[in-house]
Amino acid sequence: MDENLVSVRFRLNGQQLAIQVPSQELLIDLIRDRLGLTGTKRSCDMEICGSCTVLLNGKAVSSCTLFAFDVDGKDVLTIEGLAPDGGLHPIQEAFIQYGGFQCGFCTPGMILLAKSLLDEKQVPTEEEIREYMDANLCRCTGYQMIIESVAAAAEKLRRNT
Amino acid sequence: MSTVIGENVPRVDGQEKVTGRALYTGDLKLAGMVQGKVLRCPYAHARIRRIDARKAETLPGVVAVLTRDNLKVATPYIGAMIKDQPVIALEKARYAGDVVAAVAALDDAVAEEALKAIEVDYEELPAVMSVDDALSPTAPLIHERIERSRPPAYGRGASYIAHEHSNICHHFHYERGDVNEGFRQSDLVFEDEFVYPTAQHYPMEPTISVASYEGDSVTVWSPSQAPFATRQEISRVFGMPLSRIRVIVPHVGGGYGGSKGALTSILAVALSRHVRRPVRVAFSADENFKTICQPQIKVVIKTGVKKDGTFVARQSRVYLNAGAYVYSTPSVAEKAGYRSHGPYHIPYVLTDSYAVYTNTVPAGAFRGFGGHQAAFAYESQADIIAHRLAMDPVELRRRNLLGRGEEYAAGDTPIDCDLKGMLEELAVAIEWDKKEEPPKDPRFKRGKGIACAVKDGGGSGKSASATVRIMSDGSAVLSTGSVEIGQGVRTTMLQITAEELTLPTDRVEVAALDTHTTPFDHSTNASSATVVMGQAVQRAAQDARQQLLSAAASTLSVPVEEVQLREGRIIVKEKGWSLPEIMRLCFANVGGEVVGRGSFNQIRDENVPLGQRSPFWEVGFGGAEVEVDEWTGAIRILKYVSVTDAGKMIHPVHCRGQDEGAAMFGIGLSLFEELLYEDGKLANPNLIDYRLPRFRDLPHSFASRIREDAGGPGPYGAKGVGEGGILGVAPAVCNAVFNATGVRIRQVPLKGERVWRALGQPAVKTPVRQ
Repeated sequence: MDENLVSVRFRLNGQQLAIQVPSQELLIDLIRDRLGLTGTKRSCDMEICGSCTVLLNGKAVSSCTLFAFDVDGKDVLTIEGLAPDGGLHPIQEAFIQYGGFQCGFCTPGMILLAKSLLDEKQVPTEEEIREYMDANLCRCTGYQMIIESVAAAAEKLRRNT
Repeated sequence: MSTVIGENVPRVDGQEKVTGRALYTGDLKLAGMVQGKVLRCPYAHARIRRIDARKAETLPGVVAVLTRDNLKVATPYIGAMIKDQPVIALEKARYAGDVVAAVAALDDAVAEEALKAIEVDYEELPAVMSVDDALSPTAPLIHERIERSRPPAYGRGASYIAHEHSNICHHFHYERGDVNEGFRQSDLVFEDEFVYPTAQHYPMEPTISVASYEGDSVTVWSPSQAPFATRQEISRVFGMPLSRIRVIVPHVGGGYGGSKGALTSILAVALSRHVRRPVRVAFSADENFKTICQPQIKVVIKTGVKKDGTFVARQSRVYLNAGAYVYSTPSVAEKAGYRSHGPYHIPYVLTDSYAVYTNTVPAGAFRGFGGHQAAFAYESQADIIAHRLAMDPVELRRRNLLGRGEEYAAGDTPIDCDLKGMLEELAVAIEWDKKEEPPKDPRFKRGKGIACAVKDGGGSGKSASATVRIMSDGSAVLSTGSVEIGQGVRTTMLQITAEELTLPTDRVEVAALDTHTTPFDHSTNASSATVVMGQAVQRAAQDARQQLLSAAASTLSVPVEEVQLREGRIIVKEKGWSLPEIMRLCFANVGGEVVGRGSFNQIRDENVPLGQRSPFWEVGFGGAEVEVDEWTGAIRILKYVSVTDAGKMIHPVHCRGQDEGAAMFGIGLSLFEELLYEDGKLANPNLIDYRLPRFRDLPHSFASRIREDAGGPGPYGAKGVGEGGILGVAPAVCNAVFNATGVRIRQVPLKGERVWRALGQPAVKTPVRQ
């Protein structure tokens, strides 16, 4: 295959990375297949479900429809980088405590979306949680318990600061 | 004494799942693994004249191409109930999407290239897409010959009727009393027809399998709800003993009955055996849509009542579009038929339920399993009856609901909870008697509706076993074949084990599911795990406890009656030993363990219609308040209440998650989920054209009320709760729409256009302001 390689430098989970990527390579493939960070999940493959959500400069994006070279010079956070090894971020704790997931497949994306929300807005209303989280799909929970998890996470974070 | 039953202990897979460390099948990387992809037939029905794979085989990076011409198997047919599906199409393809060839290549791109290079010469055949067309005398036969499995051994009142040279692949018949006599005794007879859509399960993780064939053994990784059935199918197809097949279930990204991994596992094994390296077969979202679906179900329901609203007789005719291959659809037909009388006292019943082949995507099991479709019919009709009799819909149901202890059908398990109490709770929760203020804008109408449904829960033909091992340090490992599909079953089973052994939950582990080491389990479905596997696990833990007590008694030279296990300690009179201490004493310092075994088997009983007593009754009562936009037909569910009975909640958060999740499934199917066909092909196999419920679809007031009526056969009185929530949604919503607008809609989903047309296409009376 004739592939144009592009040099990309970006921060991944806090670490500076310089890597050559084929111009056609999608971010999800770079993250999952080449860098081995399989917490990012592939489902609909058309930017609808949000299972492949990562944070790009702090904002939630679908990695299934983003070229790998697009992250050049940027900051990428995947679920693996959310909390230090062995620890849990307050959002992760809240999702466990409040039943914010079942099968867990949408969960990494859902948690990163929640982080993006809570970075923007420390005390979101229920309405704001619904509207923001509407970007991602979950087939198991029926959503109510995710909303409760995000609200509880906001409360935990507020108390921590 | 402290108990963990009813405690929201942290789920055992929680940390892994929130950190992204949980490995799903698609996350596995094996050395030398190649990618498997399949070629799908573009026609609804076609004879395959010739397949030429030579060009594809010579492409660089292609490892193998498998077609009917080089597929070497003991039998090419698979199927959960009827062996009707070839692993790879043989003489013809039966739906647009049928697998015609499989390729193994070094990467996905090469595999895609190879698929394009395969030449197939098709001869298009006439296709039938609907049940009506498939039942026409001139309809082409979709399966000229099929290997029928043994007809089910039904009991009292029920029978299987065979249809030769027909597209009917299953006909369930049930009668109790002479239904015509019942109609003669009735003052009024109602007959209505209802249609419930074909839909996609859409687990977030698409179906996938990895197989590695080495020597004469194979290991398969697959997100299957029935790994032991997968093993059985591999054994049949490839002529291998079960002992050489190992199925491992990694984390599973959702199930909902979609037979995940059934087809991909067989294809992955076929390719891996052919190329002798690990093969991954991962279907895309689009392919998932084309692999299996919920059958479209039409119910024609005729009910005779007395003037005072007493139900007398019911005749149901149920038609399921089974698609090209049936998976579990015959069983869905049976259950939809058996469930069509609803939770009511009805003396005269006649039911005929048909599963019918068509040239559409194969249908199969789906959360609710015929129960929600039957409930849509009988609960919509209940409101039609109430309206005609000028009766309050709550009162009509109150008059007819079965009481606790009454038989649903003679011989079957009596109703194990207080249905009438649940109706009252539902009426209060939805504020049935409160007259809501009508919206100010007359374009919007508001109304309320309720529905009361039950289904037999726990499945049929279940067999489950488990082991509990107490290690020399007093910790324990549970081995169970129940698949964690998100419902929290591993945590539930851990709680049962910890409770029986009086151990803290962090002293019990649940072993990974591997058919080589995990004891047999039939499958994880039908809301069965807590009741069916729960009993096996409880017995295994009790067996381990008993062995431990006996060993302790013998070591300490005291009668076993004097030995007790309390708070994780062995107690004899005033003396106590920790488990590590007693294990060391019992096993003379060399280590050792106690292995407890437990099992559960459903017993055949020919006095019961389905040939086995239903393990329990799963309840789904629903109340909805809706707002209808008469200009657009758009419906908003303002409030939804689900009432169910868990018998005893072992883990309340997980019970609630199951019920709310099931109700949301019902909301999607009631409002917008529907597979559509155009020119013989599925027209919306993706998440842009097929809409799943989102956060915005969650009613602003949404509550699940889970009762604990303590009547379940599971440990501590527990029942299953995985499907109840779905049962009442469609009829409650349609009843609310009727209450709001006076218009009865007999087909879901209630898409805007369907509602707007049903409302008589109201004209927009004033220009919409920008």
